[in-house]
Order: sequence, then C-alpha cells, then structure tokens
Amino acid sequence: MIGQDTMVNCRVRLARNYTDLPFDLQKRPNDAERCIQRTVNALELSGLGESFHLLRLREMTASQKEALNEKHLITKDLLRREETAAVLLNENMDLSVMINEEDHLRIMAVLPGRSLIQGEGSCFRIEEALSEHTSFAFDPQLGYLTAYPTNTGTGLRASMVLHLPMLTLDKQMGTMNQMAAKVGLTIRGLYGEGSEALGSLYLVSNNATLGRTEHEIVSTVDAVALQLGQLEQQLRERYFLQQRAKMEDEAGRAWGILRHARLLDVKEFFKLWSSVRVGALAGMLPVDAVSLDAMLENAQAGHLKARIGEDLSDERLLEVRADFVRRVLKEKQQEDV
Amino acid sequence: MLCDECRQKEAAFTVSVMIQGTSTIRHLCPECHQKLNRQIRAGNLQELLSSILKAITAKTVSEEAETGLSFDLPEELQEQEKTGPEPVCPECHTTLSSFRKTGRLGCPACYQAFRQQLQPMLMQIHGHVAHAGRVPSSSREARRHRSRQEELTRQMAQAVAQEDFETAAALRDQLKALSEEEEAQ
Repeated sequence: MIGQDTMVNCRVRLARNYTDLPFDLQKRPNDAERCIQRTVNALELSGLGESFHLLRLREMTASQKEALNEKHLITKDLLRREETAAVLLNENMDLSVMINEEDHLRIMAVLPGRSLIQGEGSCFRIEEALSEHTSFAFDPQLGYLTAYPTNTGTGLRASMVLHLPMLTLDKQMGTMNQMAAKVGLTIRGLYGEGSEALGSLYLVSNNATLGRTEHEIVSTVDAVALQLGQLEQQLRERYFLQQRAKMEDEAGRAWGILRHARLLDVKEFFKLWSSVRVGALAGMLPVDAVSLDAMLENAQAGHLKARIGEDLSDERLLEVRADFVRRVLKEKQQEDV
Repeated sequence: MLCDECRQKEAAFTVSVMIQGTSTIRHLCPECHQKLNRQIRAGNLQELLSSILKAITAKTVSEEAETGLSFDLPEELQEQEKTGPEPVCPECHTTLSSFRKTGRLGCPACYQAFRQQLQPMLMQIHGHVAHAGRVPSSSREARRHRSRQEELTRQMAQAVAQEDFETAAALRDQLKALSEEEEAQ
C-alpha cells in the first residue's frame, strides 16, 4: 500500500498502577520488590509466565541496558531507577513490561512497519491477563490513574516512526506538525536535539490520553502516519521523475561511503542511511528496506558494544560501526549478485 | 511524555501558544514551565517567542507573529490556594505544592485529594476531563471475587478442622466483608 514504505516501526505503550502502592517506589525497595513479585505472579497465574523472562536492571551490564534502550524496550527513565527497576521481555523481543518506571507498569509493544493495531492488541492481552489477578488504580470519571496527569485516562501512547526525507527537504515538517497538533498529535525528530531530525526520522504520537477511546487514539495516529507517508511518497515519485540522475547520484554516493568507510560517526551514518533507504526503495540499490531498518538499531553504540565487548573507546566505536555497516551491505550486494 | 523544551524531564504542563493565528500545544516540565512563566512576567516576549519557535519549527516566522498564552491554572484558583489551607493527600501525604513543583502525583488517592486543582489541568492537557476508554471488566472483577471467596472458605474450613476458631472467625469476617463489597459494586 502506498505510504507504507515510509513506516519504519511502531510502538504502543500502556501505563498501569496498582491500587494500594504509592506511584514512586524508588526509595521504597520493599514495595518495589512487592510490585515486581506481584506482576510476575499474576503473569504466571494467567499462563503467560512462560513467554516472558524477568531482568532486574541492577543485574544487567551497561551495554545490555543500552541495547534494550536502543530497541525502545526500556526507557531512559527506567535506567535512572535501576536499583528498583525490572523488565519482563518476551522471546521475540517485541513486547516488554517495564516495572517501577514512572508508573508501576508500562506495557509496551515495538513492532516493524504499520502494525499499531497489532501492537495495541498485544498490550491489552498482557494487561487483561494481569488484571485477572491484580487490581489497577481506576477512577470511573478519570479512567486509569497514573503518576503524571499527562497519561491519565487510557494510559495509552501510540507512536509510529516515519522516514520522511523528501518532506524534510521540502521544508514541510513545520506545517505537518501544526496540522498534526490540530488532531492532538505531535511530530518530533526521533534522534537529535531540538528541531533536528537525524536521518529524517520522525516519531508521530498522541498527546492526549483522556477523553478518547483506545481505538480512536490508535486509529488517529495510524491515519495521520499514513497520510504523511502518502505525501512523502508523492514527493519521492515527483523527484524520481523529474530529477532521477540527482536522486541516483545521492543514493549512489551514500552507498559508496557506507560500503567503504573505515570510520563512521552516528550522525554521518544517519544521513547516509537516509539517502540509501530512498535509493533502495526506488530500486536503485541492492538492499531492502527491512535490512536497512534493522541496521538502524544495530549500528548504534549500545548494540555495537554488546556485540563486541564492554570497553569500546569513542574512536574504536567509529571503526566498529563502519566495519559492521560495510559487512551488512557487502552481504546484501553478494546476495544480489 | 518528555518536555518539548529540554527533552529530558517528564512534561507536566501544557501550554497553548498562538503563532500566526494557529494554536500550537506545547508540553513542558515544571522547570521549563516556570522559566516560561518568568519570561512572561519579565515581559521578555521576544526571547520567549524565539524559544518556542526554535522548538516547534525550523521555519522562520515574521517578527509580527502574534502571541497569546494561556496557562494551566485559572487565576482565581491560584488565589484560592494562597488563602485556604493547603490540600494534602490523606494516603501518601503529598502536598499540593509539592505536586505543583514536580508535576507528579504521589498515589492514586491524590487524584481525589487534588481533584479540584486537577480538573483544569487535565482539561488543558487532554481537552477532556472524562474517561471514554476501557474500564476494568466487571466479569473479571466478579471472577476475582469468586476465587478469593473460594480461597477464604477453604482456609476457614481448614481452621475449623484444626480447632483454630480465632482464625476461623477472622476469615468469616473477611468473607462477609467481601460479599458486602460485591453487593455494593
């Protein structure tokens, strides 16, 4: 379907709290432990226990934590609470339950492509299983109660990661953001600071969690993401028809650097990755979008460190990243031949 | 959600800003929100506007851009807070001022304790104050009640068999409370 080429992955997050515990358990190790045990027990009683394994943050290595954060299965906020925090992960590594983050539970799904509805379903399957054996803080008027009032109600945040290089080039993202704000959504750069969006990667997500049904939230994010994807696609097609040589040149040069560079910093990697992805989807390069999207996480510091070993200096990291990218693209090229 | 300004802390305030006739929602952490408030009080609109613009769009906007700002708490409520005794959550003892400072509530009971102050804030953040989504399933609730009832009955029978009548009486009271709770629901 048109527009789907721009959709990198999507995430759904559900915030829940137990009725009888204060929200912040950082300074209450006993309650924090009770919260972990209760969650694990409820999951086991519901029969889902076997699909998940528990990791306590204080028992994990730095690179393990960094890699999970890069996969968006745990957040920086959880890392800040590592003494009391834990996470339940499934085998596929696409579902997680963060325990003792800002809220007692953050049930999350991270799935490739356009699969928000599937992600929503997965999160609620876990939530329903847990609520069979526990009680979540709920108010008939305000819905599910959360530590911050920004998550009250459904506790649901639906996000989609989009690759929008042509809309960025065309300086349309400011307008797109204003339009999205009108339907209660925010668009922000996935990586980078301020208005910078490294690799032209954006995160579209809902602001409001109260006063709308879960389905309304998910379908609004999905619809806006699809619309942005379609606009991006139209611009790409126009670019392809009108300036094909330029498009091929950009993609080819980026490919050349990624295939042969010996040192690669993360900003440069994102920029080149973006051009290669556009070229690959236009059939100009021997690599598919799925491999490129997987590379996005794998070329980041935590994943590289986890693969190589703990002690990687900044200098060495550039080298390891370049090696990794070169190897993946070489394999793809050979497959193609 | 992270603060739109510093992108480090959790946003607790929502501010709507008018730029060239379009209203834009910004989510701020307590610190950045306070900074913004100070800037407005200081009348430094230019700096304020530039910081907002920097964050929401890279596009240059003409200097005549009009700004109109609205905040989370109506003035009359702020006044009321100054005069009356400070609300405190009876469960976790979080005070209203500490909630204001951190943007974070202490426990589920805080929602009841600060309901009056929360309503306008929730309206600002979400544009709604009434939940429209899922509710805990009553059938699930009932199922849980039943399994708890069974467990208590089993324990009571065991206690009677062991002639531990004190425990049995306590369990009987718990069972009674449980069925009253169910009826109330």
